[in-house]
Amino acid sequence: MTRKLSLNAFLHDTGHHEASWRHPESPVGRAHDISFYVEQARTAEAAKFDGVFFADVPGFWASTPYRPAAHLEPITRLSAIAAQTTHIGLIATASTTFYEPYNLARLFSSLDILSGGRAGWNIVTTQSDLVARNFSLKAIPSAEERYTRAQEFIDVVTKLWDSWEDDAITADRESGVYFDVDKVHQINHVGSHYQVEGALAAPRSPQGRPVYVQAGSSNEGRAFAARNAEAIFTAHQTIGDAQAFYADIKGRAVGLGRQPDDIKILPGISAFLGDSESEAKELEHYVNSLTVPAYGLAQLQNLTGTSLQHLDLDEKVPAEIFGDAGNVLDNSRSRLQVVANIVDREQPTLRQLLHRLAGGRGHNVVAGSPTQVADIIVDWFENGAADGFNVMPPLYPQLLDAFTEKVVPILQDRGVFRTEYEGTTLREHYGLDRPESIYRAGAAAVATA
Amino acid sequence: MSKPAEHMVLNAFLMSTGHHEASWRLPESNPYAEADVHHYVNLAGIAERGKLDSVFFADSPGLWGASNSVARRPPQTLEPTLLLSAMAVATSRIGLIATATTTYDLPYNTARRFASLDRISHGRAGWNVVTTASTEASANFDYAEPPTHAARYARAGEYLDVVLGLWDGWEDGATLGDKASGVHTDPDRVHRLDHVGEHFRVSGPLNVGRSEQGHPVIVQAGSSVPGMALAASYAEAVFTAQRTLELGQAFYGQLKEATRQAGRNPDHLKILPGIVPIIGSTEEEALANERRLNELMVLDHPLAQLAADIGVPVDRIDLDAPLPTDIRAADEIQGNRTRYELVVEFARKENLTVRELLWKLGGGRGHRTLTGTPEQVAEDLQLWFENGAADGFNIMAPVFPSGLETFVDHVVPLLQDKGLFRTEYAGTTLREHYGLPIPVGGERTRRSQARPA
Repeated sequence: MTRKLSLNAFLHDTGHHEASWRHPESPVGRAHDISFYVEQARTAEAAKFDGVFFADVPGFWASTPYRPAAHLEPITRLSAIAAQTTHIGLIATASTTFYEPYNLARLFSSLDILSGGRAGWNIVTTQSDLVARNFSLKAIPSAEERYTRAQEFIDVVTKLWDSWEDDAITADRESGVYFDVDKVHQINHVGSHYQVEGALAAPRSPQGRPVYVQAGSSNEGRAFAARNAEAIFTAHQTIGDAQAFYADIKGRAVGLGRQPDDIKILPGISAFLGDSESEAKELEHYVNSLTVPAYGLAQLQNLTGTSLQHLDLDEKVPAEIFGDAGNVLDNSRSRLQVVANIVDREQPTLRQLLHRLAGGRGHNVVAGSPTQVADIIVDWFENGAADGFNVMPPLYPQLLDAFTEKVVPILQDRGVFRTEYEGTTLREHYGLDRPESIYRAGAAAVATA
Repeated sequence: MSKPAEHMVLNAFLMSTGHHEASWRLPESNPYAEADVHHYVNLAGIAERGKLDSVFFADSPGLWGASNSVARRPPQTLEPTLLLSAMAVATSRIGLIATATTTYDLPYNTARRFASLDRISHGRAGWNVVTTASTEASANFDYAEPPTHAARYARAGEYLDVVLGLWDGWEDGATLGDKASGVHTDPDRVHRLDHVGEHFRVSGPLNVGRSEQGHPVIVQAGSSVPGMALAASYAEAVFTAQRTLELGQAFYGQLKEATRQAGRNPDHLKILPGIVPIIGSTEEEALANERRLNELMVLDHPLAQLAADIGVPVDRIDLDAPLPTDIRAADEIQGNRTRYELVVEFARKENLTVRELLWKLGGGRGHRTLTGTPEQVAEDLQLWFENGAADGFNIMAPVFPSGLETFVDHVVPLLQDKGLFRTEYAGTTLREHYGLPIPVGGERTRRSQARPA
C-alpha cells in the first residue's frame, strides 16, 4: 500500500494569525456562529481532509483583549458539526486535569456515535495557573504530577470505552432482553487518582475508542505520546528539527513494542498563499502590520516565561535572553526552545520576532505559491519529517479555501493525497486499526485490566 | 394575583423508543434508536411542527440499575448536551433542555457546555439541574456511597451560584470586534467571578459570551422539600409528577408561594407536570393500546426493584394483591425520596394490585397516564391549566415517534382551537417561548459588589 499523506484542518476562529480578525475581509462577527465552522468543515471535507480539530483551554484571559479569545466548548461544537458532515474526522482537545474520566468517556463516546465513528481526542494536561483557579486549585500541578494523572486517566477511559463488547446488544424483541449482561463489564478501577466502577452508560462506539491524539513535545509529552498517541500535532520551524522529532518519537514507540505506523506525526503548517511568491509575502507583510505589539508581547511571555517588555521594538533580541533553552529533552516547555532557536538562527529585532510568532505561535509559517507550499509538504512527507500536516490557515475562510482549491490538487496530482475517501471513520482515514475490546473473551489484555 | 399566562407551555420529554419501558419491543419501533441522531432530529422536527416550546432529555452518569433489569431496555447512549447540539443545527425554534448533575461534575465545565449549546442554538438552551441519587452514578466518581440528600442539595446551591455567576460575567456588548482600534473584547465588560465557597473556588471569567437569551433557562425536577427550596430560589421551570388535580394544585400553590417568598416573581417559574398520553380514536382503542404495551413488560426485574425500594423480600409480594403494609418509612430513604413517596401513596390511593402498579410505573415511572381520545386528553390539560395546577405540561409519549406525532397532530390542534396554545412561534429563544425575562449581563456581579463584604 502506498503511504498517503494526512491533512487536518486546525479550526481557530478567524484564523491562526493573531491579527486575522482585523483583515478587512475577516468575518469576525461570525466567530461564534456555528454555521461559520460548519462551512469550514464542509470545505475541508470536500477536499477530502482527514479531520478538523479544535484546541481548547478552559479559561479566559481578559487582560489581552486584542483578538477573539472566547471559544465554545469543542466537543459540543463538533457534535453540531457532526450532524452537518458525513466523512471528516472531528478532533477535540480536552484536559485530563480538569475532567472526571467517566464524564469525558461519555462525551467522546457520544461524539463517536453521533458522527458514525469520526471522533478524536487531543489529550492535554493543561499548563496554566489561570485555568487551575477555575477548578478550585490554587496553582497548576507539576508536569510530572499532571502526566502521572493523565496516564491513569487514559487507562480508566480506555477500560470504559471497552466495557461493552461489540456484540453486547441483542435487541431481542421476543424475549425482551435488550443486551447481554455477560458482555457488559464493570471495570472496577481502583488507582491512586480514581476509583471507577463502570460500565459506561453507552454501548461500544463505531471506532471502539476515539483516536488518541497528543500535542506536547516536552520530555514528559514525548514519553506519553510514544506510549499512548495515535497521532501527534507538533510545531517545528525547520525540516531538521522535524526529522529529529519524528525519529525520536518513532524510535521510542518501537522501543515500547509498537509499530512506527501506529503513530501519525503531523506538524503544523500555516501557509500564506498567493499566485506568486511575492503576492504571498505581500499578504503576510500586510497581516503582520495589523498586529498589536502589546498582544504579541503577552503571548511571547506566555510561550517562554520571559518578559521582553523592556526592549525597543526595533532592537535586536539578545541571543542569551532565553538562557539555556537549547536542550528540549530537559525542558518541560517545548515552545520556549522553538522561540530560542528562531532568535539564535535569525537574530531578529523584537518586532520581527513578534511578527514571526504572530502567525502560528511557534508553528511553521510559510508564504509562497501553491507549488512552493506543496513542495514543502511533499519534501517533509518524503524525508522522514512528517506523516501529514495540521493545516493552520492564517486567515479563515479565504486561506483554507486557497489551500483546498490550489494546494490539494497538486498533492493529488503527485499521488500523495487521496482523491476520494476510502472509509467513513477517522481511524480509516489515518490508516489505524480499530482496537479490540480488552474485555472480549480471550483478549490478552484482560488479565492486566 | 398576577394574570395567568394566555398559553400553556408544552415540552416534549424525549427518550429513545418511548417512555414505556417495553416500547422498543413493538414491531414498529427501531430498537437501535437510542444511538441514532436522525431519530432524534426527526422527533425535534415533529415537536417544532407542533409549535411546542421545547424538547428535553433526562440523564444520569451511570448505567441504569445495578441488577439485570437494566438489560430490559435500551441504555441512554448519548450525552444530552451533545445530542442537543446536533439537533440544534437541524432546527430553528424548538427549545433544547438537557439534564446535568451538580454532584459529579464541575461548575466551570457545566457552565461552558451549556453556554456553548446556548450559542450554537442561538438562545434555545435549558439546563435541568439534578443532584443524581443513584449508586450506579456515585460508584463511577470515587464514591462508595452517594452523598446524602442534604449534602447533594447544599452542593447544588453553591454549584448554581457559580454557574450563574460565570454566565453573568459577560455584559451585553462586551464583544466589540473593532478592527480599527485592534480591541476585540472590552475588558471592562468581562468580569471575574472570584467565587470562594465551601465546595468550590472559581475565578472566572467564563470563556463563552452571552447568547440571544442571555443565558440558558434553569429547570429543576425534584419535588422533595430541599428540591422545592432550590426551585423557589433558582428554577424558571419545574418538571414534576403529580397524580391528581388536588395534589397538583397543592404543589402548584406551595411552589408559587415559596417562589414569592424567595423574592421572585412566581410567573417566572413555570410548573410543568408530566403526562403520558396514550391516545386512540376511541376510548376503547386507547385502552387497547395501553394494554398492548403493558403486556409486553417483563415484570420480574421491576418487581425486584420495587421490593428493594420498599424494603420487603420479593417472595412476600403477590403480583395480584395490594402492596404489603409493613414497608419502609420515607424518611429512611437517602435516594430519590420524592419518587418513593409517590409510588407508595399512588398504589394505596388507587387501590392497585402490584401488577397494576408495575404496569403504571413502567408506562410513566410515576407520572400520570392519560388514556383516551384526543378530546379527552385536551380537556384534561385544559382543566389543570385553568385551575391552578399547571402552567403547561411535560409530554411523555409512550412510543416514539408515533406517540409524539399523534399528540402533535391530534391534541395540539384542539388546544389551539381552544386558544390555549400558540399557532405560530412569536420568538426564537426558549425564554421567549416560556415568557421568561432575559437576564441582564453583569447584574449579579453588580448586586454582589453593592453588598457590603
